[in-house]
Amino acid sequence: MSAAEGLLIRGLTAAFGKREVLRGVDLAVAPGETVVLFGPSGVGKTVLLRAVAGLERAGGEVSVAGREVSGLPPEARGLGMAFQNFALYPHLPARENIASPLRARRLPEAEIARRVGAIAALLRIGHVLDHAPRELSNGQKQRTALARALAAEPRALLLDDPLRNVDAKLRYEMRLELPRLLARSGAAAIYVTQDYREAMALGQRVAVLLDGRIVQDAPPEEVYDQPATVEVARLFGDPPINLLSAESLPGGRLRAAGLEVPLPDSLRALPPDAQLGLRPEHLSLLPSPAPGAAPASVVAVTPLHERQVVLLRTASGEELVASLAGAAPPVGAAVWAAAEPGHALLFAGGQRIAHGAGREVAAA
Amino acid sequence: MADLVLRVLRGLALALVLVFFLFPIVWILLMSFQTNETILRLPPSLAFDPTLANYKALLTGTMETSSGTLQVTFLRNLGNSVLLASLSVGLSLLLGVPAAYAFARFRFRLGEDIAFTLLSFRFAPPLLVLLPLSLYFNELGLADTYAGLIWVYQLICLPLVLWIVRSHFEEAGVEVENAYRLDGHSWWAGFRKVAIPLAMPGIAAAGLLAFIFAWNNFVFALILASADKQPVTVGALAFVTASGIQYGQIAAAIVLSILPTLALALYAQRWLVEGLSLGAVKG
Amino acid sequence: MSHSAPTLPPGLPLPAAANRRRTRRADAWLPYLLSLPALLVCIGILVPFVTALWYSLQRYNLAMPFTRGFIGLEHYQEFLSDPAFWNTLRVSAVFTLATVGVELLLGLGIALLLWRRSRVNDAAAVVLLLPLMTAPALASLMWKLMTNPGFGVLAWAAAQVGAGDFRWASAPSSAMFTVVLVDVWVYTPFMVILLLAGLRSLPPQPFEAARLDGVPAHFVLLRITLPMLAPFLLTATLFRTLDSIQQFDIVYAMTQGGPGDALMVFQVQAYLEFFQYTNVGRSAALLVVLWAVTYALSRLFIRHWMRLRQGGRAHG
Repeated sequence: MSAAEGLLIRGLTAAFGKREVLRGVDLAVAPGETVVLFGPSGVGKTVLLRAVAGLERAGGEVSVAGREVSGLPPEARGLGMAFQNFALYPHLPARENIASPLRARRLPEAEIARRVGAIAALLRIGHVLDHAPRELSNGQKQRTALARALAAEPRALLLDDPLRNVDAKLRYEMRLELPRLLARSGAAAIYVTQDYREAMALGQRVAVLLDGRIVQDAPPEEVYDQPATVEVARLFGDPPINLLSAESLPGGRLRAAGLEVPLPDSLRALPPDAQLGLRPEHLSLLPSPAPGAAPASVVAVTPLHERQVVLLRTASGEELVASLAGAAPPVGAAVWAAAEPGHALLFAGGQRIAHGAGREVAAA
Repeated sequence: MADLVLRVLRGLALALVLVFFLFPIVWILLMSFQTNETILRLPPSLAFDPTLANYKALLTGTMETSSGTLQVTFLRNLGNSVLLASLSVGLSLLLGVPAAYAFARFRFRLGEDIAFTLLSFRFAPPLLVLLPLSLYFNELGLADTYAGLIWVYQLICLPLVLWIVRSHFEEAGVEVENAYRLDGHSWWAGFRKVAIPLAMPGIAAAGLLAFIFAWNNFVFALILASADKQPVTVGALAFVTASGIQYGQIAAAIVLSILPTLALALYAQRWLVEGLSLGAVKG
Repeated sequence: MSHSAPTLPPGLPLPAAANRRRTRRADAWLPYLLSLPALLVCIGILVPFVTALWYSLQRYNLAMPFTRGFIGLEHYQEFLSDPAFWNTLRVSAVFTLATVGVELLLGLGIALLLWRRSRVNDAAAVVLLLPLMTAPALASLMWKLMTNPGFGVLAWAAAQVGAGDFRWASAPSSAMFTVVLVDVWVYTPFMVILLLAGLRSLPPQPFEAARLDGVPAHFVLLRITLPMLAPFLLTATLFRTLDSIQQFDIVYAMTQGGPGDALMVFQVQAYLEFFQYTNVGRSAALLVVLWAVTYALSRLFIRHWMRLRQGGRAHG
């Protein structure tokens, strides 16, 4: 199935007064596909969703299942949307919240009851259908909101950071559950988040929104391994990537913060503003000097998600962050930091110019 | 010891305050159950046989005086008050709730201008508008109609409705309405099924307060209402002149006239502060 | 794309709304459509207002319509040398200062008395609503009955303390006092409930800190309570000043501006000019003067009010 049958966004623009928030966003989502819209807070992710939904004045074109909807009011677009704050109708029981899109489609009463029952069972909220929203737990509210968005089987789904306001355990569960649920709905879904882990877990594709444009649109692993820009590299990953200014050395090598790695084959020389990007997990710590390794001392150690995050200060005064799977050296220890050249990223002018520096050399 | 003195003093002050503010109402209430004979007795005494004769006279519309039987039109005034206040509130909710919604949801120049015109005329001398209106009313044939009065009463009710209901729409937030529209319901359905129910407490409060203020108004009807359209505030004054020394009946008339608003005020006390200060101070 | 087949085929009929040929453009008109009735009311106010301004520049007496004509600022110039006008100005000022002053002090005192939440205090606050919700015109009648020289309980009480010749609203010397008293009775509760709402919205920390430090009570009142209460004091005072300066109901119901011209406040004077002397032009000019005063004050108030309202929302 092609994106023409799903959700198609072309040249979407939006502005608040003089400030341009969206400067021509193109995005195509195929039926059954989930694209994660990723970006830092305030970048306009929600504006993009609202523009697609028809809640925000916008230029450009939006089509849903081959039907042009730009220019139509929200109610005529036939979309499903889940809001960050759930936006449940506080005066209606969960059942009526979920039934709302079905009522708008004038389905017979028995059909509405059947469909509400089915979607509620799928989301495991069948037992709270008669409760008012204020009597629901946050997790149940969240599921009710999702059920409402899915109830009418919309061809396109907009999910505005739906896990933002639920606790960590529930977020974890939903991350496992949502991809199956979304694929099964058959809808073209845009899922907004600013949590890169969520983006990794949910999306078949991640579209990174920065400065009003989609700067990268790729599978999540690719965004992580080959970020298009310095900014994407910085935002996508936690702890954040090490970014070091790099200079070329004779013999096809480059040096940054005392680390030396081979220059990628595709490059003859480094531009003057080149930066080396190294993910913390691609730094290893050696107890003794080695070629290319930078002498450093351990400043602090913090556990994070079953890994040890080590803050280092190199002899030349730069700070490096390493993330280790095993035990970390004690604070104050003298170590040698070495980069895995195959994962090195090179940026110039903010754009990625090469990745996997000297992969062949390292392999040899 | 000093603590005890302070507490006694506070209690005394509170008692004095309550006596001052409550006494006139209690005294008029007592008066309304007395015959002229006991009213005129000096010194005033609490020992009297309560009688409902005053109320009966008001409600049956005839008053026995030493000089004969008088027709009492006070019941008609009471009816006028009910009619004027409730229809005015009804109209102001009908007109004001949609406008309050527009002011809360859309930032637009005209809305701000309307809101501020109404607000600034809340503080302008009412006669400034009423006197020219009384001349217009004669020309337009509105002078002797309820419709004209109800229209003018919007000056009292509409600002209240606009400002109170607006803040409730603002508090309810727009997101649920957006959700409702995305479900596929028209704007109008969302307004009726979501926005209005969520703002209902504010609408009820505004309605009650507007009713109280409309009921208590004096100057609008004094200037614009003909004798048979006058509400109790104006009617009671005329009644005093007409009934001469029938003090018991005057007292009963006052009691009947203030009873509805006092009862409503007790019922709506939660919202009074907000309404009285037009939302500047939350209760 | 290989996904597990959807359980239910996607594509329910689109909402009924999708078939209507209405675009987002129609939404742009909505706010104007909705506020149209309110706009009409505005026009209903503004037309007579402008008319009044126009009347004030005319010689216009209903009894002598043939003399009607434009006279510019003549009415206003006459005011400058008219003792009746200066009396109106003086009486209005005295009435306003007296009522607002007494109500502010009394209201503040009562609000402080009721500050702490307790069953008695809350009940008292409710009782205080009653005078405020009594129509001022009817409240005036009540006080007229109470001060009636024949059987009025207050007239009798005054006689008991040796002031039997105190004639309340019917003597020029005591009429102002009596009318102010009625206004105080009706409107002090307004001050109380506004200031009480203010007091109860104050954060408790400064007061707890002062208590721990053993700061004396009068010092707390002057240096902590009153400064923190200032925005509410200002709201209440401006509100009451704006109302008091235009007081009509109480004065009219009690004395109709008399005895003599002892209580000839602006609006009563204007009312009598209009209905007794049918002098529309002069009446309008009087009201325009009053309007100018209230307008200046209300600008002040509205600005302050906006700030409070926005501040309240930021906190809420």
